[in-house]
Amino acid sequence: MFRKSYLLYGFLVLGTTAFGQYRGWSLDTINQLKNVPKSVRDNPGSYRSVYSGYHHYTGGK
Amino acid sequence: MSAGTPPIAGPPKPQAKALNCPKCGAAIVLRSFGQAETVVCASCHCILDAKDPNLAILQQFEIKTSDIRPLILLGTRGKLRGTDYEVIGFQRRSIQADGITYSWHEYVLFNPYKGIRYLSEYNGHWNDISICKMLPMSEGTSANYLGEIYKHFQTCDASTDFVLGEFPWQVRVGEKAAVTDYVHPPRVLSSEKLDKEVTWSIGEYMYGREIWEAFKLHGAPPEAMGVYENQPSPVTTNVAGMWVAFAAFAMLLLALMAGFDVRAKKEPVLQQTFYYNRADAKGEASFVTNVFELGGGTSTVEVNTSAAVGNHWIYLNYALINQDTGQAWDFGREVSYYFGHDSDGFWSEGKRFDTVVIPSVPSGHYYLRIEPEADPSLPSMAYSVGVVRDVPVFGIYGIAFLALLVPVVMISFRAYTFERSRWSESDHPPMQLSSSSGDDE
Repeated sequence: MFRKSYLLYGFLVLGTTAFGQYRGWSLDTINQLKNVPKSVRDNPGSYRSVYSGYHHYTGGK
Repeated sequence: MSAGTPPIAGPPKPQAKALNCPKCGAAIVLRSFGQAETVVCASCHCILDAKDPNLAILQQFEIKTSDIRPLILLGTRGKLRGTDYEVIGFQRRSIQADGITYSWHEYVLFNPYKGIRYLSEYNGHWNDISICKMLPMSEGTSANYLGEIYKHFQTCDASTDFVLGEFPWQVRVGEKAAVTDYVHPPRVLSSEKLDKEVTWSIGEYMYGREIWEAFKLHGAPPEAMGVYENQPSPVTTNVAGMWVAFAAFAMLLLALMAGFDVRAKKEPVLQQTFYYNRADAKGEASFVTNVFELGGGTSTVEVNTSAAVGNHWIYLNYALINQDTGQAWDFGREVSYYFGHDSDGFWSEGKRFDTVVIPSVPSGHYYLRIEPEADPSLPSMAYSVGVVRDVPVFGIYGIAFLALLVPVVMISFRAYTFERSRWSESDHPPMQLSSSSGDDE
């Protein structure tokens, strides 16, 4: 019983993986925005990035 | 057929025969129609010879404990595996192991047409037991019965502590028999050696609720404690088969990965080097790249950033913007690399390049808006930005691999711990525990 369930589950995992690859899924988190005005191309400063003001790690041991 | 021959009668109807104990006069009920060798008086605990019309006294014993009570009362009838049986006898037996006494109960069941069979109960674990019809072959640590191999579990001396009712043998309290158990869950093969006589029996594990249903007993059966020697594993599946299935899935996953890797276009659509200059950045630092085309349908887009940083960082606010639809993917990436020497030697952290994969980007005309920031101590820095369309994401295969592996590992672990518990009670424990022998010297 469990083996049958596992076979079904395994094919589901493979199918999801194949579908994800086909559709171009990624593991990175990207913020999506809609309706960005076309004026950004001529005036890049008019666009406010979601990530501006990020606290930068200065590294070092 | 002569005239004086009585007509052939049908099978006798089950009837109990009533007698009296020769010691105390209490009523003795014989239920097994002459199959009993001994019967025990419930009143004075005399073991009587059931074959003797006068019920000769064979032994009288004292009850050592008052908590011996059969869970199924004598005379209770029930249907076990499709056959009606009546409980006619009960005994408690025990073994000594490492100074601890382990006791279990055995019930004698009788059917006038099927004969005798037994039920045993230990800590809520039940076995349906019958005498072997063929002689098993035992060799070393295994025994073969009807083509099935049983593994040796334990050998011990079992003594009879308490008896009640009828028994198809000459039972005595205090009697000791050498018992050897071989298991092949859910069955157990047992040999009992008493003097020079060896009796083989075969038992099959039963759950308490099955016994309760069979004898229509009130309440709930005692909860099974621990793992019994022939208790079937809750992991009913073939663990080795699961690993074979996992290996097959892993191969398929590998094939899928190779297939998509070959199929992926990995098409570079932008590769440009830019210069960050702190003096220029005081004004508006952001700028846009040339428009590039992403063709061939929805796919991943990889954005690579590299910079020759050394104990500095550079941070780029990116926006991949579709010129036609206004859809944008906004993300920030940092490239930083730090290194030095200390008492442990050379150390480093970070990388001089960064990669990010944007998911499911439709085809169209795009440009990147880039807004660089950098370490205040960095006056200027060259950095390269590359955009590649349709790249495989290998991390997804890693997640899929784990998703396939985890259930098999969990099942294997569960099966392993169950078998480990089972065999820890045997003569062949998985791990020999060493006992300290006193360190007072």
